[in-house]
Amino acid sequence: MPNMLSIGVSGLNAAQAGLATVSNNIANAATPGYSRQLLNQVENVSLGSSGFNGGTGVDVLSVQRAYSQFLTSAVWSANTAQQGATTFDGLTTTLNSLLSNSGNLQTSLDSFFGGFGTVASSPSTSSNRQALLGNAASLTNVFNTLSQQLSQQQSQVNGQIGSTVDSINQLSSQIASLNDQINQAGGVSGGINGPPNALLDQRDQAVQQLAGLTGVSPIVESDGSISVYTSAGQPLVNGNLSTPLSTQPDQFDPTQLDVTDGNGNNITSSLTGGTLGALINYRDNVLATSQNQLGQAAVALASSVNAQQAQGLDLNGKQGQPIFSIAAPTVLPSGNNTGSATVSATISDVSQLTTSDFVLKFTGAGTGTNGFTLTTTGGQSVPLTANPDGSLSAQGLTINVSGGALQIGDSFEIQPTRNAATSLAVSLTDPNGIAAAAALSASAGSANKGSGKVGAVSVTDAGNPALLNGATVTFTGPNTYTLTDSAGQQTGLTYTPGQPITSGNGFSLSLTGTPATGDTFTVAANTNGLDDNSNALALSNLSSVGVLNGGQTSVIASIGNLTTQIGTVGSQANSDLTTQTNLFNQAVNSQQSVSGVNTNEEGANLIMYQQAFQASAQVIATAQSIFASLITAIQA
Amino acid sequence: MRISTSQQFQQSLNTMLNQQSTLANTQNEVSTGLRINVASDDPAGAAQVLAINHILAVNAQATTNINSANTRLSTETSSLSSVSTLLDRVNTLGLQGINGVLSDGDRANMAQELIQLRSNLVQLANSTDANGSALFAGTSTTATPFVLNSDGSVTYSGNASQQMVAVGGGLQLPNSDSGSAIFMQVPAGNGSFVASAGAANTGTLVVGANSVTDSGAFAAATAAGPIDYNITFGANGTWTATNASDGSPVIDASTGQPATGTLTDGGSISFNGISLSTTGTPAVGDSVSVQSGTTQDVFSTLTNMINVLQSGTGDSTTLNNVLNRQLESLNQAMDNVTNTQVEVGGRLDILQQQQSTQADLSVTYSQALSNVQSVDIASAVSNLTLQSTALQASQQVFTKVQGLSLFNFIQ
Repeated sequence: MPNMLSIGVSGLNAAQAGLATVSNNIANAATPGYSRQLLNQVENVSLGSSGFNGGTGVDVLSVQRAYSQFLTSAVWSANTAQQGATTFDGLTTTLNSLLSNSGNLQTSLDSFFGGFGTVASSPSTSSNRQALLGNAASLTNVFNTLSQQLSQQQSQVNGQIGSTVDSINQLSSQIASLNDQINQAGGVSGGINGPPNALLDQRDQAVQQLAGLTGVSPIVESDGSISVYTSAGQPLVNGNLSTPLSTQPDQFDPTQLDVTDGNGNNITSSLTGGTLGALINYRDNVLATSQNQLGQAAVALASSVNAQQAQGLDLNGKQGQPIFSIAAPTVLPSGNNTGSATVSATISDVSQLTTSDFVLKFTGAGTGTNGFTLTTTGGQSVPLTANPDGSLSAQGLTINVSGGALQIGDSFEIQPTRNAATSLAVSLTDPNGIAAAAALSASAGSANKGSGKVGAVSVTDAGNPALLNGATVTFTGPNTYTLTDSAGQQTGLTYTPGQPITSGNGFSLSLTGTPATGDTFTVAANTNGLDDNSNALALSNLSSVGVLNGGQTSVIASIGNLTTQIGTVGSQANSDLTTQTNLFNQAVNSQQSVSGVNTNEEGANLIMYQQAFQASAQVIATAQSIFASLITAIQA
Repeated sequence: MRISTSQQFQQSLNTMLNQQSTLANTQNEVSTGLRINVASDDPAGAAQVLAINHILAVNAQATTNINSANTRLSTETSSLSSVSTLLDRVNTLGLQGINGVLSDGDRANMAQELIQLRSNLVQLANSTDANGSALFAGTSTTATPFVLNSDGSVTYSGNASQQMVAVGGGLQLPNSDSGSAIFMQVPAGNGSFVASAGAANTGTLVVGANSVTDSGAFAAATAAGPIDYNITFGANGTWTATNASDGSPVIDASTGQPATGTLTDGGSISFNGISLSTTGTPAVGDSVSVQSGTTQDVFSTLTNMINVLQSGTGDSTTLNNVLNRQLESLNQAMDNVTNTQVEVGGRLDILQQQQSTQADLSVTYSQALSNVQSVDIASAVSNLTLQSTALQASQQVFTKVQGLSLFNFIQ
């Protein structure tokens, strides 16, 4: 009975292999990336010596993974989306708590503007003025802190971009080396020892990690290796070769990192998905816009307060000096420029100011506007206007090109408000410098015979150096007058009742009633009215006055917009994360339903193989006892 | 479907982690009482919270402004009522001067009291508010806008402007009245014109109460500018009116003829809408000047009274003429003070209304704010209970399900 013995041995071997597989499955039940292994056993095929095919036992072909390439690929792409959503949500959550923890912008703005109201109640009380300067300092402090925290987050994000690219390169080379090892082990189906299951699991796990870092398209090649391409199509892994990505400082702003492919091409904007895609998207779209918007609010605050301040007289009898100082727009020349010209920009019209950054490019004389074209950093073309003095204007900015020669292709990035909130500072130190009083006062001549009364004096050009010189209006007829101001004497001017009289000294005077011939009206610096509060009242009202967006949006409203925008990004990121996590979990569930280890199943298999082992042992024992019976029979 | 054991663990764990984070959120809402803790909790709501807080801050500032205006205007009211009392006393003294049969000593005493009253008036006119700023300096920063000179005249160094206060809703009210309007720019005479007997008159003519009897005719006469007439007397009380500027006769608008007439004792002179009542008889060559549009500050009125009482003259014609004129002017000053008091009272009323409006608005907006950002505690607490029960249930199910392993039974 040699057949029975060898069949028993084959069964014993198969059961042992089965027990080993079950043990391995149980041991790796909690190993990430492990695929359940199955014993691939078949009937032993061999022709028996006798005339019938009774079978010759069992043969173990291989130990294989329970695996679906389709489901595994689904996990990879779900991981890209989920990791991207996680990173983005983490960043926007930080941004939202920065906004709510960095002092309250609205409260500080209201205390600052309210301070003008208190000064207006008693303009010559110095404690009120001192308190107002204190409010101004804490307001700038809130702007500075928030903006510094945003800058810090920006440098953190840039640091993360660098380390993420390092991780991507590490994983790429790991996948390439695994491709090589798998190839040496005989490919997916393996050589004499069966498929290299552990290596295959490791490679799948590495691809999944890589997919979490950036959007990739992994392709299983015919030789069993996996090639990996970025979302933009650059190869990361090809067979046993990997192509590293690298980072380099941005051509305009060296504090920003750009990602380049193996050929040195800038692929930053085409990388999407995964941690890296989320970092780049957040940095360039959310964070930069928030910084610009905060800066825009700071510019609106500084320019409106300073402009109103200049329309008044301070307690020293001088025209109001600026309360705030703020940095001019930042202009960054490209590191690739070959010309030596420099560009500077100033804000000429706050109401036209946007939150975009721009790239100014010299395209050669005779093209564009004065040889220049302007685009947003996103690539949208922006119309440029040439001014008579040779400067250029666009979107509330005035751009001046000076210095050396320009070469075609020279470009400059203009960031109108990026650093404004950081640079906002209180430049006024003297509490008496707050211009609470109106700059000018008008009086009717004491000998006037007509019923004309002084209506109002409005400052039309606070920058006029002759503003405080005043003027005299003498009526030479019911509707004609002589105006004497710094421009000299202008006679025979026509007076239209109801229309203001304008002076070249930068103000206009409106009258009520009917002036008689010979009546005079004198406009002079309001130095005997320094307890006046009309300018302080105008200043306190500024919080609700539209400054931005064509004069539609007040400073407070622009802070409100910033809050809504940051909040919306945050809540979207949050719900996106929930969705992507659910999708990822579903993909993992499907994949695990094929490849995951179920300990109950393994327990049952353990019993099955144990019993199979015992049974095969019994077969051998039986064969032996049969053989023994036979020997005994012969001996007897 | 096959279940992977590790995935089963992971899923139960994820469920519990999610429940825990929801629970933590609700807990945060309950402990802060706020539904919106960061902008992303409700982006539109967060902007609304900001806008409402801004309105509340503006309201609070308006309330502060109203309070300080209230203090200032109340101070002004009490200063003005002291001025009023003082001017009443001056009026009484003036009437005594006219009516009483007084000795020189009495007049000297009256002058002495008036000097005292004048310096009190200057003091009152220099009153300050709670911050030490002069109440009646207009918008000038001068500490003492009224300075009494040695000749008894008073110089005003403030200006004629008014300080305004913003009391909410875009409304601005004057927070002060300039001393120039109250004390300095007081219309002389009866408020329309002043008719004064010439200083060199020798007759016994005393100009008494004057008034505008026909406001239409008076307006026509003053249309081209203030009037300045001289009425000159001839024999037997005849008079002619001429323009002081060129000596041309004044044309009476009602007759188209030069204004002339004859005055009898106790009679009156009327033309161009004005009427002068007189007593006594004028001597030939005596004159009366009639001027409109002139002003006389209240301090000069007092000084004029003091001067005439101190001059030692016992001549009742001069005394009466001067005191009559000054009392007329004094009445104008008193009217001025009373009108200002009424105006200030009106402003205080508006302030009070505005204060209650602001208070109502604050309540409304606080309610709106709470609707937007406050958590409904009842539902939050019930959510909290529900969520913690759910978490407990998950924990129990987890331990139950994970206990079900075949290996428990393999011996």
